[in-house]
Amino acid sequence: MIETPEFQGTHLWNRLSWAKENLEMYRSEYCVVYEDSMDECAKVLHPDPNWMACALQGGILPPVSSYWELKKDEAKPDFVKHTRGPELLHNMKPIGPMTEEEAIEYLIMKDVPESVWREWDKGNQPKMVICKKEQLPPTREWRNAWKIDPELKVAA
Amino acid sequence: MSVLELNGRIFDASTTGTLTLTGEGGAATTDVTQGLAKAWIDHTQITTSAIRDSLNISSITDVATGKTFPIAFTNNMSSSSYAGSLYASANTSDGYTTFNNQLAGGLGSKTTASFGHSGYSTGFVDSIRNDDIIQGDLA
Repeated sequence: MIETPEFQGTHLWNRLSWAKENLEMYRSEYCVVYEDSMDECAKVLHPDPNWMACALQGGILPPVSSYWELKKDEAKPDFVKHTRGPELLHNMKPIGPMTEEEAIEYLIMKDVPESVWREWDKGNQPKMVICKKEQLPPTREWRNAWKIDPELKVAA
Repeated sequence: MSVLELNGRIFDASTTGTLTLTGEGGAATTDVTQGLAKAWIDHTQITTSAIRDSLNISSITDVATGKTFPIAFTNNMSSSSYAGSLYASANTSDGYTTFNNQLAGGLGSKTTASFGHSGYSTGFVDSIRNDDIIQGDLA
Protein backbone atom coordinates (compact mmCIF):
# COMPACT_ATOMS: atom_id res chain seq x y z
CA MET A 1 0.00 0.00 0.00
CA ILE A 2 1.38 3.39 -0.98
CA GLU A 3 2.22 5.72 1.88
CA THR A 4 0.36 9.02 2.13
CA PRO A 5 2.72 12.01 2.10
CA GLU A 6 2.58 14.41 5.04
CA PHE A 7 -0.31 16.51 3.77
CA GLN A 8 -1.09 18.91 6.61
CA GLY A 9 -0.73 22.36 5.07
CA THR A 10 -1.17 21.08 1.51
CA HIS A 11 -4.22 22.38 -0.35
CA LEU A 12 -6.97 19.74 -0.12
CA TRP A 13 -7.57 19.88 -3.86
CA ASN A 14 -3.92 19.02 -4.46
CA ARG A 15 -4.30 16.05 -2.12
CA LEU A 16 -7.30 14.87 -4.15
CA SER A 17 -5.24 15.17 -7.32
CA TRP A 18 -2.51 13.09 -5.69
CA ALA A 19 -5.09 10.49 -4.66
CA LYS A 20 -6.55 10.39 -8.16
CA GLU A 21 -3.12 9.61 -9.52
CA ASN A 22 -2.00 7.15 -6.88
CA LEU A 23 -5.01 5.36 -5.37
CA GLU A 24 -7.38 2.80 -6.86
CA MET A 25 -11.04 3.77 -6.78
CA TYR A 26 -13.02 1.88 -4.14
CA ARG A 27 -16.62 1.13 -5.10
CA SER A 28 -18.55 0.65 -1.88
CA GLU A 29 -21.39 -1.85 -1.90
CA TYR A 30 -23.24 0.40 0.55
CA CYS A 31 -25.58 3.30 0.00
CA VAL A 32 -27.63 5.46 2.36
CA VAL A 33 -31.40 5.70 1.95
CA TYR A 34 -33.10 8.56 3.76
CA GLU A 35 -36.30 10.57 3.87
CA ASP A 36 -36.29 14.23 4.83
CA SER A 37 -39.84 15.05 3.80
CA MET A 38 -43.02 13.04 4.20
CA ASP A 39 -44.22 14.37 0.86
CA GLU A 40 -41.22 13.19 -1.11
CA CYS A 41 -39.86 9.80 -2.07
CA ALA A 42 -36.78 8.27 -0.46
CA LYS A 43 -33.40 9.67 -1.44
CA VAL A 44 -30.37 7.47 -2.03
CA LEU A 45 -26.83 8.67 -1.35
CA HIS A 46 -24.03 6.92 -3.21
CA PRO A 47 -20.42 7.37 -2.05
CA ASP A 48 -17.92 8.52 -4.64
CA PRO A 49 -15.31 5.79 -5.34
CA ASN A 50 -12.40 8.26 -5.42
CA TRP A 51 -13.54 9.78 -2.12
CA MET A 52 -13.85 6.30 -0.60
CA ALA A 53 -10.26 5.57 -1.63
CA CYS A 54 -9.14 8.75 0.20
CA ALA A 55 -11.15 7.82 3.30
CA LEU A 56 -9.73 4.31 3.50
CA GLN A 57 -6.18 5.50 2.78
CA GLY A 58 -6.09 8.13 5.53
CA GLY A 59 -4.06 11.30 5.85
CA ILE A 60 -5.99 13.12 3.11
CA LEU A 61 -9.40 14.29 4.33
CA PRO A 62 -10.05 16.93 7.01
CA PRO A 63 -12.24 16.11 10.02
CA VAL A 64 -15.95 16.26 9.23
CA SER A 65 -16.31 19.15 11.69
CA SER A 66 -14.48 21.34 9.15
CA TYR A 67 -17.45 20.99 6.81
CA TRP A 68 -19.88 21.87 9.60
CA GLU A 69 -17.93 25.06 10.24
CA LEU A 70 -17.97 25.99 6.55
CA LYS A 71 -21.71 25.36 6.47
CA LYS A 72 -22.21 27.66 9.45
CA ASP A 73 -20.17 30.36 7.74
CA GLU A 74 -22.19 30.05 4.54
CA ALA A 75 -25.45 30.33 6.49
CA LYS A 76 -24.53 33.76 7.84
CA PRO A 77 -26.58 36.53 6.23
CA ASP A 78 -23.50 38.56 5.29
CA PHE A 79 -21.68 35.60 3.71
CA VAL A 80 -19.96 36.41 0.44
CA LYS A 81 -17.16 33.85 0.18
CA HIS A 82 -15.28 31.48 2.43
CA THR A 83 -12.25 32.90 4.22
CA ARG A 84 -11.55 29.96 6.51
CA GLY A 85 -10.72 27.39 3.81
CA PRO A 86 -7.00 27.30 4.66
CA GLU A 87 -7.74 26.97 8.38
CA LEU A 88 -10.45 24.34 8.09
CA LEU A 89 -9.53 22.32 5.00
CA HIS A 90 -5.86 22.72 4.15
CA ASN A 91 -4.03 23.38 7.42
CA MET A 92 -6.18 21.19 9.67
CA LYS A 93 -4.51 17.89 10.55
CA PRO A 94 -5.95 15.25 8.19
CA ILE A 95 -7.74 12.33 9.78
CA GLY A 96 -6.33 8.83 9.69
CA PRO A 97 -7.57 5.80 7.74
CA MET A 98 -11.21 4.83 8.21
CA THR A 99 -12.96 1.51 7.83
CA GLU A 100 -15.65 1.36 5.15
CA GLU A 101 -18.32 1.64 7.84
CA GLU A 102 -16.63 4.68 9.42
CA ALA A 103 -16.30 6.28 6.01
CA ILE A 104 -20.03 5.90 5.35
CA GLU A 105 -20.80 7.41 8.77
CA TYR A 106 -18.48 10.36 7.99
CA LEU A 107 -20.18 10.84 4.65
CA ILE A 108 -23.61 10.82 6.27
CA MET A 109 -22.53 13.58 8.64
CA LYS A 110 -21.06 15.53 5.72
CA ASP A 111 -23.63 15.14 2.93
CA VAL A 112 -26.96 14.14 4.51
CA PRO A 113 -29.10 16.89 6.08
CA GLU A 114 -28.33 17.19 9.78
CA SER A 115 -32.04 17.02 10.62
CA VAL A 116 -32.01 13.47 9.25
CA TRP A 117 -28.86 12.00 10.78
CA ARG A 118 -29.21 13.65 14.19
CA GLU A 119 -32.60 12.00 14.76
CA TRP A 120 -32.56 9.15 12.28
CA ASP A 121 -34.19 6.69 14.73
CA LYS A 122 -36.63 9.07 16.43
CA GLY A 123 -40.31 8.97 15.55
CA ASN A 124 -42.52 6.12 14.46
CA GLN A 125 -40.22 4.76 11.78
CA PRO A 126 -36.56 5.15 10.76
CA LYS A 127 -35.72 8.12 8.54
CA MET A 128 -32.43 6.70 7.36
CA VAL A 129 -31.06 3.27 6.49
CA ILE A 130 -27.62 2.09 5.41
CA CYS A 131 -28.06 -0.81 3.03
CA LYS A 132 -26.36 -2.69 0.25
CA LYS A 133 -27.05 -1.52 -3.27
CA GLU A 134 -28.41 -4.97 -4.11
CA GLN A 135 -31.20 -4.29 -1.59
CA LEU A 136 -32.52 -1.38 -3.68
CA PRO A 137 -35.32 -2.08 -6.16
CA PRO A 138 -33.74 -3.68 -9.24
CA THR A 139 -35.30 -1.29 -11.73
CA ARG A 140 -36.14 2.43 -11.82
CA GLU A 141 -39.83 1.71 -12.30
CA TRP A 142 -41.89 3.61 -9.70
CA ARG A 143 -38.70 5.42 -8.61
CA ASN A 144 -40.71 8.43 -7.46
CA ALA A 145 -42.68 6.22 -5.05
CA TRP A 146 -39.74 4.62 -3.25
CA LYS A 147 -40.14 4.81 0.54
CA ILE A 148 -38.36 3.20 3.47
CA ASP A 149 -40.33 0.16 4.62
CA PRO A 150 -42.18 1.31 7.77
CA GLU A 151 -41.97 -2.24 9.12
CA LEU A 152 -38.18 -2.17 9.00
CA LYS A 153 -36.55 -3.26 12.24
CA VAL A 154 -33.79 -0.92 13.35
CA ALA A 155 -30.57 -2.52 14.55
CA ALA A 156 -29.27 -1.14 17.81
CA MET B 1 4.47 11.79 -6.46
CA SER B 2 4.75 13.70 -9.71
CA VAL B 3 6.98 16.77 -9.71
CA LEU B 4 7.08 19.48 -12.36
CA GLU B 5 10.03 21.85 -12.64
CA LEU B 6 9.34 25.03 -14.55
CA ASN B 7 11.82 27.88 -14.86
CA GLY B 8 13.58 26.63 -11.75
CA ARG B 9 10.35 26.47 -9.72
CA ILE B 10 9.28 23.08 -8.36
CA PHE B 11 5.60 22.13 -8.45
CA ASP B 12 4.36 19.13 -6.48
CA ALA B 13 1.35 18.24 -4.33
CA SER B 14 2.48 20.70 -1.66
CA THR B 15 2.72 23.67 -4.02
CA THR B 16 0.44 26.55 -3.16
CA GLY B 17 -0.42 29.70 -5.06
CA THR B 18 -1.21 30.00 -8.73
CA LEU B 19 0.68 28.87 -11.80
CA THR B 20 1.20 31.53 -14.42
CA LEU B 21 2.53 30.82 -17.90
CA THR B 22 3.24 32.94 -20.94
CA GLY B 23 0.08 33.01 -22.99
CA GLU B 24 -0.57 32.58 -26.70
CA GLY B 25 1.44 35.02 -28.76
CA GLY B 26 3.93 35.52 -25.96
CA ALA B 27 2.82 39.03 -25.09
CA ALA B 28 1.11 38.35 -21.79
CA THR B 29 0.92 35.73 -19.04
CA THR B 30 -2.03 33.46 -18.43
CA ASP B 31 -3.16 32.12 -15.06
CA VAL B 32 -3.38 28.34 -15.47
CA THR B 33 -4.96 27.79 -12.05
CA GLN B 34 -7.98 29.91 -12.97
CA GLY B 35 -8.53 27.82 -16.07
CA LEU B 36 -8.58 24.42 -14.40
CA ALA B 37 -11.76 22.41 -13.87
CA LYS B 38 -12.02 22.25 -10.07
CA ALA B 39 -14.50 19.36 -10.09
CA TRP B 40 -15.95 16.97 -12.64
CA ILE B 41 -18.10 13.87 -12.61
CA ASP B 42 -19.38 11.22 -15.00
CA HIS B 43 -22.34 9.34 -13.55
CA THR B 44 -25.39 7.31 -14.52
CA GLN B 45 -28.95 7.48 -13.26
CA ILE B 46 -29.98 4.17 -14.84
CA THR B 47 -30.68 1.10 -12.68
CA THR B 48 -28.54 1.88 -9.64
CA SER B 49 -27.08 5.36 -9.76
CA ALA B 50 -23.34 5.13 -9.94
CA ILE B 51 -20.32 7.35 -10.35
CA ARG B 52 -18.03 6.18 -13.16
CA ASP B 53 -15.25 8.63 -12.31
CA SER B 54 -14.81 12.08 -10.84
CA LEU B 55 -12.56 14.63 -9.23
CA ASN B 56 -13.34 16.51 -6.02
CA ILE B 57 -16.70 14.80 -5.42
CA SER B 58 -17.64 13.01 -2.18
CA SER B 59 -21.11 11.66 -3.02
CA ILE B 60 -24.19 11.95 -5.20
CA THR B 61 -27.78 11.59 -4.04
CA ASP B 62 -30.45 10.10 -6.27
CA VAL B 63 -33.51 12.18 -5.39
CA ALA B 64 -36.03 10.97 -7.96
CA THR B 65 -36.30 10.16 -11.64
CA GLY B 66 -33.84 12.35 -13.53
CA LYS B 67 -32.77 14.29 -10.45
CA THR B 68 -29.42 14.10 -8.65
CA PHE B 69 -28.99 16.45 -5.70
CA PRO B 70 -26.72 17.13 -3.97
CA ILE B 71 -23.59 16.34 -5.89
CA ALA B 72 -21.25 17.18 -3.02
CA PHE B 73 -17.73 18.58 -3.25
CA THR B 74 -14.84 17.33 -1.11
CA ASN B 75 -13.07 20.69 -1.37
CA ASN B 76 -15.75 23.37 -1.14
CA MET B 77 -15.87 26.21 -3.64
CA SER B 78 -15.17 29.62 -2.15
CA SER B 79 -18.58 31.03 -3.07
CA SER B 80 -21.68 29.83 -4.89
CA SER B 81 -20.76 32.02 -7.87
CA TYR B 82 -18.93 29.36 -9.83
CA ALA B 83 -19.67 28.11 -13.31
CA GLY B 84 -20.86 24.69 -14.31
CA SER B 85 -21.71 22.93 -17.53
CA LEU B 86 -23.55 19.68 -17.97
CA TYR B 87 -24.50 17.04 -20.45
CA ALA B 88 -27.33 14.55 -19.90
CA SER B 89 -28.12 12.03 -22.60
CA ALA B 90 -31.75 11.61 -21.46
CA ASN B 91 -31.53 8.14 -22.88
CA THR B 92 -30.73 4.61 -21.79
CA SER B 93 -28.05 4.31 -24.47
CA ASP B 94 -24.89 6.38 -24.52
CA GLY B 95 -24.08 6.43 -28.20
CA TYR B 96 -23.25 9.88 -29.54
CA THR B 97 -26.37 9.85 -31.71
CA THR B 98 -28.78 8.69 -29.00
CA PHE B 99 -29.32 11.95 -27.15
CA ASN B 100 -32.84 13.17 -26.60
CA ASN B 101 -33.67 16.08 -28.84
CA GLN B 102 -36.17 17.54 -26.41
CA LEU B 103 -33.80 17.47 -23.45
CA ALA B 104 -33.47 20.43 -21.15
CA GLY B 105 -30.83 19.84 -18.52
CA GLY B 106 -30.55 21.69 -15.25
CA LEU B 107 -27.43 22.44 -13.24
CA GLY B 108 -28.16 24.58 -10.23
CA SER B 109 -29.10 24.83 -6.55
CA LYS B 110 -25.47 25.80 -6.11
CA THR B 111 -23.91 26.20 -2.68
CA THR B 112 -20.23 26.16 -1.85
CA ALA B 113 -20.67 22.53 -0.80
CA SER B 114 -22.71 21.06 -3.64
CA PHE B 115 -24.87 21.49 -6.73
CA GLY B 116 -27.74 19.66 -8.40
CA HIS B 117 -28.20 18.06 -11.80
CA SER B 118 -31.38 17.11 -13.64
CA GLY B 119 -32.49 15.95 -17.05
CA TYR B 120 -35.89 16.83 -18.49
CA SER B 121 -37.63 15.89 -21.69
CA THR B 122 -41.41 15.66 -21.59
CA GLY B 123 -40.88 14.95 -17.90
CA PHE B 124 -37.85 14.32 -15.73
CA VAL B 125 -35.93 11.46 -17.25
CA ASP B 126 -33.06 9.24 -16.13
CA SER B 127 -29.93 9.38 -18.26
CA ILE B 128 -27.25 6.77 -18.68
CA ARG B 129 -24.70 9.51 -19.33
CA ASN B 130 -24.44 12.58 -17.11
CA ASP B 131 -21.34 14.76 -17.25
CA ASP B 132 -20.77 17.86 -15.10
CA ILE B 133 -17.77 20.19 -15.11
CA ILE B 134 -17.25 22.90 -12.47
CA GLN B 135 -14.91 25.86 -12.78
CA GLY B 136 -14.32 28.69 -10.35
CA ASP B 137 -12.47 29.45 -7.13
CA LEU B 138 -11.90 26.89 -4.40
CA ALA B 139 -12.26 27.63 -0.70
